[in-house]
Amino acid sequence: MNEILIKYIQEHLLSSSDIELTSEDDLLGSGLVDSMGMVKLIAFIEQEFNLTVPPQDMVIENFMTISYIENYLEQRKQA
Amino acid sequence: MKNGIEQVSQEKELIDLTHSQLLFWTGQKIDQVSPLYNMALTFEFSTAIDVAKFKEAFQLLVQKSDTLRIVFEEKDGIPFQKMLPSVSVNLDLLDLSDQADNDQVYDNWLNKSVLKIFDTKVQLYEAVLIKFSEQRYVFYLNQHHLITDAWAVSVLYNNLIKIYQQLIKGETVDQLLYPSFKDYVFFEKQNRLELESSPIKQYWADQLKQLPLPPRLYGFDQQSTTTRAQRISLDIGLERSEKLREIAMEKGIRSWTMHLSLFNIFSSLLFTYLYRISGQESLSIGTPAHNRPTQIFKNTAGVFIEVYPLLAQVSPEDSFLSLIKKVQIATNGLLKNAQPGASQPALSRSFNVVLNYINASFSEFENLPVKSEWVHTGHVDPRHHLRLQVYDFDASGTIQLHFDLNEDIFEAQTRALVPQHFLNLLDAFIENRETQILAPKVITNQEYQKFNSDFNQNFDDSNSAENIVRLFTQQAANFPNIDACSMQDQTLTYADLDAKSNQLAHYLKTSGISSGDRVAVYLERSFDLVIAILGVLKAGAAFIPIAANYPKERINYMLQDSAAKHLLTNKELSNSLDKITIDTTLLDENWNEIEANNSDELNLDIQGNDLAYIMYTSGSTGKPKGVMISNAAINNYIQFAKKEYVKVDHPVFPLFTMIGFDLTITSILVPLVSSGTIRIYKDAPSSTDLSILDVIKENKVDVLKLTPSHLELIKNMDLSKSMVSTMIVGGEAFKPNLAKSIYKAFNKNLNIYNEYGPTEASVGCVVYQLEENDFDRKNIPIGKPIPNTQVYILDQHLNPVPQGVTGELYLAGRSLANGYFNQENLTAERFIDLFSDTDRKMYRTGDFVRINKSGELEYLGRKDNQVKIGGIRIELGEIEVALAKINTIDTCTIIHQKSKLVNDHEGLDYCTNCGLPSNYPDSTFDEVGACNLCNSFESYQKKASKYFKTREDLKLEFDAVENKEQRPYDCMMLLSGGKDSSYALGQLGDMGLKVLAFTLDNGYISEQAKDNITRVTTALGVDHIFGETAAMNEIFVDSLKKFSNVCNGCFKVLYTLSTKIALEKNIPYIVTGLSRGQFFETRLTEELFWKEDVDIERIDDIILNARKAYHRVDDAVSKFLDVSMFEDDQVFEKVQFLDFYRYSDVSMDEMMHYLDNKLPWIRPTDTGRSTNCLINQVGIYVHKKERGFSNYAFPYSWDVRLGHKQRDAALDEINEELDEKEIFKIMDEIGYEREGEVVSAQESLIAYYTGEKQSTTSLKNLLSDSLPAFMIPTQFKHLNKLPLTTNGKVDVQALLNKTDTYQIETDTPYVAPSNQIEEMLCEMWSEVLSIPKAGIHYMFLDLGGTSLSAIRLTARINDAFELDIPVKDIFDYPTIAKLGKHIESIILSLLEESH
Repeated sequence: MNEILIKYIQEHLLSSSDIELTSEDDLLGSGLVDSMGMVKLIAFIEQEFNLTVPPQDMVIENFMTISYIENYLEQRKQA
Repeated sequence: MKNGIEQVSQEKELIDLTHSQLLFWTGQKIDQVSPLYNMALTFEFSTAIDVAKFKEAFQLLVQKSDTLRIVFEEKDGIPFQKMLPSVSVNLDLLDLSDQADNDQVYDNWLNKSVLKIFDTKVQLYEAVLIKFSEQRYVFYLNQHHLITDAWAVSVLYNNLIKIYQQLIKGETVDQLLYPSFKDYVFFEKQNRLELESSPIKQYWADQLKQLPLPPRLYGFDQQSTTTRAQRISLDIGLERSEKLREIAMEKGIRSWTMHLSLFNIFSSLLFTYLYRISGQESLSIGTPAHNRPTQIFKNTAGVFIEVYPLLAQVSPEDSFLSLIKKVQIATNGLLKNAQPGASQPALSRSFNVVLNYINASFSEFENLPVKSEWVHTGHVDPRHHLRLQVYDFDASGTIQLHFDLNEDIFEAQTRALVPQHFLNLLDAFIENRETQILAPKVITNQEYQKFNSDFNQNFDDSNSAENIVRLFTQQAANFPNIDACSMQDQTLTYADLDAKSNQLAHYLKTSGISSGDRVAVYLERSFDLVIAILGVLKAGAAFIPIAANYPKERINYMLQDSAAKHLLTNKELSNSLDKITIDTTLLDENWNEIEANNSDELNLDIQGNDLAYIMYTSGSTGKPKGVMISNAAINNYIQFAKKEYVKVDHPVFPLFTMIGFDLTITSILVPLVSSGTIRIYKDAPSSTDLSILDVIKENKVDVLKLTPSHLELIKNMDLSKSMVSTMIVGGEAFKPNLAKSIYKAFNKNLNIYNEYGPTEASVGCVVYQLEENDFDRKNIPIGKPIPNTQVYILDQHLNPVPQGVTGELYLAGRSLANGYFNQENLTAERFIDLFSDTDRKMYRTGDFVRINKSGELEYLGRKDNQVKIGGIRIELGEIEVALAKINTIDTCTIIHQKSKLVNDHEGLDYCTNCGLPSNYPDSTFDEVGACNLCNSFESYQKKASKYFKTREDLKLEFDAVENKEQRPYDCMMLLSGGKDSSYALGQLGDMGLKVLAFTLDNGYISEQAKDNITRVTTALGVDHIFGETAAMNEIFVDSLKKFSNVCNGCFKVLYTLSTKIALEKNIPYIVTGLSRGQFFETRLTEELFWKEDVDIERIDDIILNARKAYHRVDDAVSKFLDVSMFEDDQVFEKVQFLDFYRYSDVSMDEMMHYLDNKLPWIRPTDTGRSTNCLINQVGIYVHKKERGFSNYAFPYSWDVRLGHKQRDAALDEINEELDEKEIFKIMDEIGYEREGEVVSAQESLIAYYTGEKQSTTSLKNLLSDSLPAFMIPTQFKHLNKLPLTTNGKVDVQALLNKTDTYQIETDTPYVAPSNQIEEMLCEMWSEVLSIPKAGIHYMFLDLGGTSLSAIRLTARINDAFELDIPVKDIFDYPTIAKLGKHIESIILSLLEESH
């Protein structure tokens, strides 16, 4: 899951593919990804993991880092 | 200034516009002379510039950015864009360096330049370099929104600076093109197609359903005709900006990015602001979505933004923080679904406010900061009443707010206040995010002070120490022989009244009554009543008026609750009471005893604070409550009323309204202090008091105090000979239409006052004198407070609301009651401290008011369950409590129903054959239920068939055209997108004809119909054009006014535009898709077929002549469109109309089969009916309201009669539920004044209950023990359970909808009329009472009969039988059987007399 997300972000959202990305990097605070990018990432996640992210779930607590996203997806799976 | 393209190289391909470009295009089309989409920016450099290099850089920029090479052109009304491959520009230099006052010259130049109207065919921007000095330059770039947005400007600017710097450094500038906007145009189109099948489409469709009405900002109407908008800017300063950025990082507020967090903060503040200045909780603001999904698009200059609605449901309990949470979710939803091409015009109808959060940034120049400025043109899209632009261009750290305020909507005074109001909320937010959004003050201290000086400085102390007793005594001394009262032919002089009331006062004193005691007065309208009231006051006590027709249970309660020490009544009334423990005096029987007393003054020293009376009004908890009015309070009103209303020496006031009704106080006390006469009219025996009719008929009074309900009863009379010179209208809302009818009825000078005041503020305390032109207003104001009265308009937090905004009215001052007798809690709840002044109180009225544009108070309604019927206030809760006490009833609720609903179609019959409803004028039905139209059609159907021709005939028509080869098309087909025209187009195509399809885009064609049009024309390979007119709205309004529908206007535009195009293009025929039903509806009238021998040529001739006349009429179409071609008869030969269905008789099944199998036509579902037009329902609504039936009733009946429509489908459509909210929204959009046609409401109370089912009569009887007649519901409806809302409250709306189904609740079985008189009466009853069938033993009142319906019935009866029976006969003979006999006997006696 981790790799899929990193790959997508690197290929589609970062301005340069040279930027290293880890699970703990703050995607938002550091300005790596902007709001439009997050929307695209969410669209990708929805498609990739076959779920819908409702607007109320679109908060930093769920999406700030890749590991946050993984947590969120884990919760969704259990729910 | 010469600037621009010097040479244009050859044309390139034409490209469609994007959705958002199309919106800008349309907006600019509507207003071609205003620069409403100009975006002008200036960039100031404090450094030297190499002008030649700068010019070169700009030329390169244009070369590399295709967006700067866009031009537009129109083909058949459809706009296209093309990117010119190369353009040579010459950037102008404006050298002001040798001018002394160059800043001034520059400002003048700038103000003029920003207004430039761009020729979209040539160039859509202007760029100029201005030189102030060697070290100071300004780069000016003004562009049309059709090519760029704010982000694009920064892309262009940054690219320009980059090129310039490369040139300066001598580096080579590459020839590579910048990312192309054309790519985006194609991308958007592609994306739009993909969206068709995506959840995003569904998301916006769902949002569309939830869109609220645009709020009324500061209560102002929603019409705007100007694009003029003033920009007021506000720099919120560094401190606030930094604080906001800090807050943006707080948990719960922080979103994806700083900008997004700030956007959420500002939109929440804007929602708060809108809520506070409109009171509307459901809100939508427009917000542009950035729409640049990829890195490449981020670097592309062009217009990407699309404006979407951001919705919020604000609640009064919200804090800033809880609102931000809601907004975050809404924003996330928007972000997720704002995809290129997803916007649509319908979405933008909900907002008149736009938030534009701009985060574009501009790079430094030569390492120096650049000062950039967005120059406001003074014009914005007229639909945007308020635009808030939030930006920080120069990263200077301070956030700037620019408010663009439409000058039609906001007056200059208000415009200046807007930023301050917003800032007050912003500061409260910064201080504490947990603050309730209702808590902070919006208005400024200056505004509050101005309000007080405008409204609350009316003081008059001249007579403040007086009281009624002394004022009356003075009149008695001065005018002893003037009549104080008169009744029939009896009179009572001032001297007599004074003596008698003195005797009664002495009597009461001897009986132990002293100051502060309370004496109940239970009497009919009579001399005794006046004597009693004066006697009690003279004894220093307070009177409690009790109406003669109150039920005894209520009387007992009032006597007990008030702890009355004495009761004044008469023999007859006392018999109706149970045994009473308090002292009782019968004024008739015990008069000898009273008369034995001294007739001199008692000369008591009555104090201002001593009570004058206690007036009982309906109480929501189930029991009436006693309002304590002091002598000072009533004196304040009486003094005012005498000064204002009494214009003659000895005015005559009628006493004809109920005792115990606040309004009646005026009619008793004002004449007594003005040496006037009280003309007394007897109480009516029945519950319905029609004494007003006697007052008018007798014609003896000059000042009339009455309610709008009374006026309804007399408005249609000829009152030109009436003596009445002054009317004081009070008790309930007074509508302009009624005022108009009254002025018309009197047809002379008349002083009319609209008086407002709750019982708790002594009769009346806010007054407005009407002026002639007030009928044109939407609302008659209630005016300004009377002397010594203060008003406050406050919100739930007791904050004063801004001018124009609705708030609750609070009253203070001398007229205020002392509170409710014996109800301290209720008193404390309703009479609260006057702000910080704990010694003075203000009364919370529960009435909503606002200040109108002319600075008067306007009454807007109640905030609770209190209603008024006939001016008498009623708490529905009191009725519910009384009803619930009945053993067999489990739960109940009372609904106050106003006028008949448009969606009401109960009680209608429909032709069994064609479905024509019985409300269609002059429709009659035979014994098998077939209508007169069906029957008469039978007689000429055969003859009419000769009018129709065959497909072969149609072919001959086309073959016979001259110069066929030189013409581009064989015909033009009018394509609405509906089934009929789509089928016809398909058939023409199958005939091998070259067809140009033409559709009128009236702005309300449904999306699905448009899709059909595109699919069908594409599939058939037919050329297609849309026509439109900027004046469509005016034409709709004209059509609604003239024909009560929209279709007439639309058809005329369609025929006019299509003829013009056909003429220009040399097209010989225009083919219509009119159905055969429509032929009969519009032209093939029965009369044409009266002659035995039908001459079809003659009919064609008649129709052609009708058509010529039709196009030469003066109307909105001839005013706004070019109709000159119709002046010449030749046009009707050059372009002829063919009706396809004259040549083709196709069954509906055949047609549907063809559409299903041969064409990509899909039945639209978004209009809710078989037409393709969303505005249609407005026409149906107005037609139903004004003409009483659907305008589709007749045409559909023809469609059914001819077998082109199923009867059931036609009925469903005629009776479809109309969505008032949507209709009002469209009415506002097109500028149709809807208030003017509000009909005066007929009101009634309807009880819904669960438990054991009982008859109306028995429930009415049970209730009459405890409730007065005016509080007893007219209808009782049994339900198995009451509908509840999600909050568990009774769902009033659901019940209101239920009232559509009128059921006659009566024990009486239906008995049919047995003779001709009864038959005629039955017909009149069902018509007037709107019931399907009137049985001859039904009781008039059980059927919901009111005094108004009695008057209408009487008029019909007198007309039909040539009689002159009085209205009261309807109540005296309350069934058709009884009334019939009565009428029969009158007729017989008249016949005998004549013998």
